[in-house]
Amino acid sequence: MPEFKIQHLTKYTYPAPVRDSANQIILYPIQDDYQEVIKQEIHISGDPVIDTFIDYYGNKVGSFTYSEPHSTLLINSKILVQTKYRPLPGNDIFPAQQWQDLEKLRYMVPFIDFLRLEYFDGFDDLKALVEAEKSKDDTPYQAVLRFSRYVYDNFQYIKGVTSVETTMDEIWKLKAGVCQDFAHILTLMLRLVGIPARYVSGYICTHHSATMRGEGATHAWAEAYIPDYGWLGIDPTNNCIANEAHIRLAVGRNFSDCSPVKGVYKGASDHRLDVSVAVGYEDDTPSMHQPGEFIEAPEHKPMTTFPKNSYQRYMEMLQQQQQQQQ
Amino acid sequence: MQESAYFSQYNPIKGVWDEMYGENNIRDHYSKVIDYLSRESAEDLARKEELAKRLFMSQGITFTVYSSGEGIEKIFPFDIIPRIITVDEWAFVEKGIKQRLNALNLFLKDVYNNQFIVKDGIVPIDIIYSCPHFLREMYQLEVPYDIYVHIAGIDLIRDHDGTFYVLEDNLRTPSGVSYMLENREITKRLFPDLLPQCCVRSVTEYPNILYKNLLSLSPRQISNPTIVLLSPGIYNSAYFEHTTLARLMGVELVEGRDLVVKNQKVYMKTTVGLQQVDVIYRRVDDDYLDPLVFNPSSILGVAGIMGAYRTGNVAIVNAIGNGVADDKAVYAYVPEMIKYYLNEEPILKNVPTFQLSNIDERQYVFGNINKMVVKKTNGSGGYGMLMGHASTDEEIDDYKKEILKDPRNFIAQPTISLSAAPCYMQGGLHPRRIDLRPYALCGPEGIEIVPGGLTRVALKEGSLVVNSSQGGGSKDTWVLA
Amino acid sequence: MLSRVAASLYWLSRYVERSDGILRMLKINYASSQDTVQEFTWEPVIRIFAGHDEETQKLGNDSRAVMRYMVSAKNNPNSILNIITFARENARSVQEHITKDLWQCLNEYYHTVKDTRIDNALKKDDPVSVLDILIKQVMLYYGTVEITMERGEGRSYMNIGKYLERGIQSVDILDTKFGSIDGNPDLLTDTTYWKHLLLSLGGYELYLKKYREGFEAENVLEQVVLNNDFPRSVIYSVNHIQRYFDRLKNDSNIDDYRELSFFIGRLQSNIKYSSVKTIKEEGLHTFLTQIRSQLYGIGDALNNHYFANS
Repeated sequence: MPEFKIQHLTKYTYPAPVRDSANQIILYPIQDDYQEVIKQEIHISGDPVIDTFIDYYGNKVGSFTYSEPHSTLLINSKILVQTKYRPLPGNDIFPAQQWQDLEKLRYMVPFIDFLRLEYFDGFDDLKALVEAEKSKDDTPYQAVLRFSRYVYDNFQYIKGVTSVETTMDEIWKLKAGVCQDFAHILTLMLRLVGIPARYVSGYICTHHSATMRGEGATHAWAEAYIPDYGWLGIDPTNNCIANEAHIRLAVGRNFSDCSPVKGVYKGASDHRLDVSVAVGYEDDTPSMHQPGEFIEAPEHKPMTTFPKNSYQRYMEMLQQQQQQQQ
Repeated sequence: MQESAYFSQYNPIKGVWDEMYGENNIRDHYSKVIDYLSRESAEDLARKEELAKRLFMSQGITFTVYSSGEGIEKIFPFDIIPRIITVDEWAFVEKGIKQRLNALNLFLKDVYNNQFIVKDGIVPIDIIYSCPHFLREMYQLEVPYDIYVHIAGIDLIRDHDGTFYVLEDNLRTPSGVSYMLENREITKRLFPDLLPQCCVRSVTEYPNILYKNLLSLSPRQISNPTIVLLSPGIYNSAYFEHTTLARLMGVELVEGRDLVVKNQKVYMKTTVGLQQVDVIYRRVDDDYLDPLVFNPSSILGVAGIMGAYRTGNVAIVNAIGNGVADDKAVYAYVPEMIKYYLNEEPILKNVPTFQLSNIDERQYVFGNINKMVVKKTNGSGGYGMLMGHASTDEEIDDYKKEILKDPRNFIAQPTISLSAAPCYMQGGLHPRRIDLRPYALCGPEGIEIVPGGLTRVALKEGSLVVNSSQGGGSKDTWVLA
Repeated sequence: MLSRVAASLYWLSRYVERSDGILRMLKINYASSQDTVQEFTWEPVIRIFAGHDEETQKLGNDSRAVMRYMVSAKNNPNSILNIITFARENARSVQEHITKDLWQCLNEYYHTVKDTRIDNALKKDDPVSVLDILIKQVMLYYGTVEITMERGEGRSYMNIGKYLERGIQSVDILDTKFGSIDGNPDLLTDTTYWKHLLLSLGGYELYLKKYREGFEAENVLEQVVLNNDFPRSVIYSVNHIQRYFDRLKNDSNIDDYRELSFFIGRLQSNIKYSSVKTIKEEGLHTFLTQIRSQLYGIGDALNNHYFANS
């Protein structure tokens, strides 16, 4: 049973002190039969009290505030986690039966949330493509593998071309992105054929020799619901099943349900963000990877200052204040 | 009874319920007022109208309309002739609203917890889960006394035979109650002694009841909890109402930037430091309330307030996530909710509603669009509506395209004929279409409805749209004792 | 009191005081422009109240263009029109904290300056009449504040704002006027120059009564910085800031109070224990720069400690 030591550092540096920051972290690995957290320490600069709760998707979420003026915010999460290999889905039920089983989930909680499609410019193209890609006698499991391969082959892995705010339309045009974009596309493809699919955030832990995409930062992949099996992790960025080397932090409909760190503060809008994720094995000390260029930039927004001029800010305020009353 | 000049010239609209005129005569409950009016000359009435305008302007009872960045202050047009509701009518409406609100509250509690009504197939699950106002953040979150709707402004209309229908349930941030209060104050000035003569019930208790309810929600058991009214700010069209209510209740009027969350508690920033806030009557929409959890670009909200709410350190009125119950697609199921939760027959009727996400219903609506009003499921203020009978073919086609992009966001209802009431204009009385919005307050001791409400009136001849943004005005609303 | 409310009252008052300064300055300068065609320049007025940019360069020395820019221009953030709009918006957001009379008074000032007749009159009629109409609005405002406003915390913030703004203005005007002398020593003996400076601060008559020996730079300096009885002197403004700040003392914010009280006291003694001689030794510009930065420091400290940085 693999055991991993993970150190996840998030550091914000502000050019001038900021105040009244309110933050939310989803940095607590999921606990289940295949993943056990042996130890976790989260240290945050300023030692704020972290209040935790379980959200709608079952994730443990922490929230804290930091009101005194500060120039840096450091979140240091150290985890010791043990994972277990999970056998892959068998092939002992007829495909037609499996698709029928999936059809029954369409109007059931929680699956309804993981089947909902969002409309975007390339929607019809994607739909046609998915129909063509799926062959008739595929089981849902086979379809999952096929779609993952498709995303892996047809989208380029390029850091820095997308951000958390990039829309599906843009990703579709670019045909490139990072793990969260790959995961996003795959969930859409799966939902289009009626396979419930959710977004997963977490860490990827490979041995020193092998290199995988997504190391040195938080990673993202997808989970597909397979009848009589449950949620199957699938990582389109590396085109592999997400199993004992993938540590799950949170699941949800999309990135924003799982955002590992996000916050709002008052002060100047520019800040510097450094993120690193280091993984060590068993008794190793965590070997520092080169801090990854962090692409899945956590949402961190100033609340009062905008990188616009004061007139635009005023107009924005005017518009927001005019929101309708019933 | 003396036949009044105003009355003899009055031409009721055919096929429309007239609040004053019935069976070739003035209805009893209007007779005293018509008597009073007939003793006044046209000049007297014109003077009263002028006085009303002046009172509104000088007291700053205005709303601001913005165009190209410049604000123009306007008064909400006021018609001096009151709208009168009889004892029996009111008893019926009051009972109906209480029943409806009870069911809606139970629905909200259910939909954010066990979802029995969904599991039993009464309300289709996809309508709930596709509603943008169904907030998963509210799932299993406990609210004080299980009350979600503390303040409701349910819109009622009357069909050609006088039957009351509910047009919409406003359960989020209903506005207009300050006009109910101010209209009454103006009437006292315009028609001295008439109110007591007619035995009109008072509406002045509204702020006191609201205050009492807000007080009862305080999470801290202290003698003097801090209650605030959270306004989007001076550019909001209802800002006048926010200041009025804050003043009448004696609570602080705050904006988002006045509040800060620290360790799951909400504080307001004062010149002598932070002061903890216990109850927030907010007039800021859910989406703008907490930039950490909802719309991150909001500058009207308070970052982290959702955490304080979740931990029970602050009470928020109305509850967050109520929009799932006043969504116009969910509206269609309210009569079913009443049967389901209360085991009662609905007292107030619903307007038949077609779901445009349902293909058959959509086909039917498209085929009969001239008889339909099509609305956005989460719209309000009369924006984004299509009145089939009054639209050009081109407008209808454009609207259909809009519908097909996301049919879930639209519903259609047959055009209901609003009742008419006399308005004073051009020196005489003329019938104009009206609706009625009573304000219901729900506290730990039950639901209280101040006898009165806001009667909105479509001032344009033939118009059925009463919204202030679309040429509507208002009337004082009398409930007789 | 909510920090935002305190800040709004303070800013409301600063804006009105600024409008007063601008209007009086314009009035005197316009009169001068009719007297001394050759040497007269609007440059110092523009520099003090609008700053240097492309827009102000376009104005040149055209009196009417300058006045319209300073009074009714929408594109000048410091025009009377814009600052009174800000003042009114601040008032609107604190309506429950000011009297109805005061609100109506500001409303009227706003509608007066917004009236297109003002701009038209500046184009072709007598500008002094126009400026007088507006100056009267300011005086009505000050009268209304005096008569109707409760003597409480709110009024203290308003007065601190008013005197801080006034102090900064006097320092700026002095610095600009004396600064011109460095490049042109002839001005030192130019009677019109000093008369003009005193007029624009409303201190001409007081000067004549006090100093019989004619216009001396040193006497002007003494009156504008150190005279306790001259309502636009720097020391008068600082004394009043101190006076109204003292009333804000409260048990629950004693640390904040002490810090600001120290700033104000230090500034007050800096000025009080100066004389024309020590100022000249130190250098007037250095002295004024230091006073100005201390005045700004008080504004910043208020913002930090009392206005929650709103």
